Amino acid sequence: MIAIFGLASLLGSVLLGLWVFLFTPNDALMGVTQKIMYIHVPSIWITYLAFFIVFFSSVGYLWKRTEGFDQVAKSSAEIGVLFCGLGLITGAIWGRPTWGTYWVWDARLTTTLLLFLIYVGYVLLRAFATAGERQARLAAVIGIIGFLDIPLIHVSVQWWRTLHQPSTMFKVGAAGEPKPAMPPELLWPLLVAVVVMTLIYVFFLLWRLQIDADEVALEERLAQE
Amino acid sequence: MKRRYIQFAIGGAIIAAILIGVLYQGVQSTVFFHTPHEILASPEQFRNRTIRIGALVERESTAWDPAAVQLRFKVTEDSRTFIPVVFNGVKPDMYREGQGVVVEGQLDDQGVFQATQVLVKHSEEYSVEKSSYADKENMYKTLVNATER
Repeated sequence: MIAIFGLASLLGSVLLGLWVFLFTPNDALMGVTQKIMYIHVPSIWITYLAFFIVFFSSVGYLWKRTEGFDQVAKSSAEIGVLFCGLGLITGAIWGRPTWGTYWVWDARLTTTLLLFLIYVGYVLLRAFATAGERQARLAAVIGIIGFLDIPLIHVSVQWWRTLHQPSTMFKVGAAGEPKPAMPPELLWPLLVAVVVMTLIYVFFLLWRLQIDADEVALEERLAQE
Repeated sequence: MKRRYIQFAIGGAIIAAILIGVLYQGVQSTVFFHTPHEILASPEQFRNRTIRIGALVERESTAWDPAAVQLRFKVTEDSRTFIPVVFNGVKPDMYREGQGVVVEGQLDDQGVFQATQVLVKHSEEYSVEKSSYADKENMYKTLVNATER
């Protein structure tokens, strides 16, 4: 199962790369620089997804107190931190040639950095606090509260004046129908990039859970001997 | 036990609501940039302190002096009222007239904005380069020709 997702991720990434660089036209204003969007946007999408899974599993854990929820929350948080970091870095690399700066303290960037720091704190807690039910409970509370930043990130470009542009994907037309401000030639590879990145996420998550299970099994065997 | 959860949920919701409220107010009162209208309505309030202006670059207002490395232009929201901007630095790659910019600097006593940084805002609208397809076709043609030869 893990191998299938791994292979699909690899194959998907290679094909997507070929599509984006050989068969997708450049953006009229930004030229080839805009290609970084195909990593930046899916990275942030995975960040949202990963931390939503943390949120969901943490609520599940506090409610049902089953270890499975806790393990999923822990694993998903680690992956979320990875992709959030990737989103911040690719954003900075994109910002330099487009805006003229790697970083500004506008609401979109600041709330995203806040999200990163909250879950870095979460991962640190899981790494350094004594393992057990108490740690899992504490982590679940942080996992739930930290997630509240995500709706804030989403609305940050509407609530406040920012350097970061408003949402392209969630733009609506006159009648309220969804109308992404992007021609289909650029939009399709982006949607596929989101699917490929989701495959990578599932691959990482299953792999991480497997490692966790192996660790537990190993410890049990060592304890028996 | 059940009651503790309910207390916990209510407490958490209150803390979250306060946090969001504080953040909203905090960021609202320290806006990332001001608009020309706000500044021209009460210029004395903004004079000689570091602020940012977010506006559009007025068309045909750019004067770029490569020898002095100085960029001059006007920013506006409605093409009726303007603030002249002077920036001693390199013209940003994405700088275009009619484009949104965020300039940081100080408004001097003459009403000229002495910018220390010019950032270019990107619109959320994407469009395809017109020449992109043509270039690609030419590329394939040259490739095909090269292999046929």
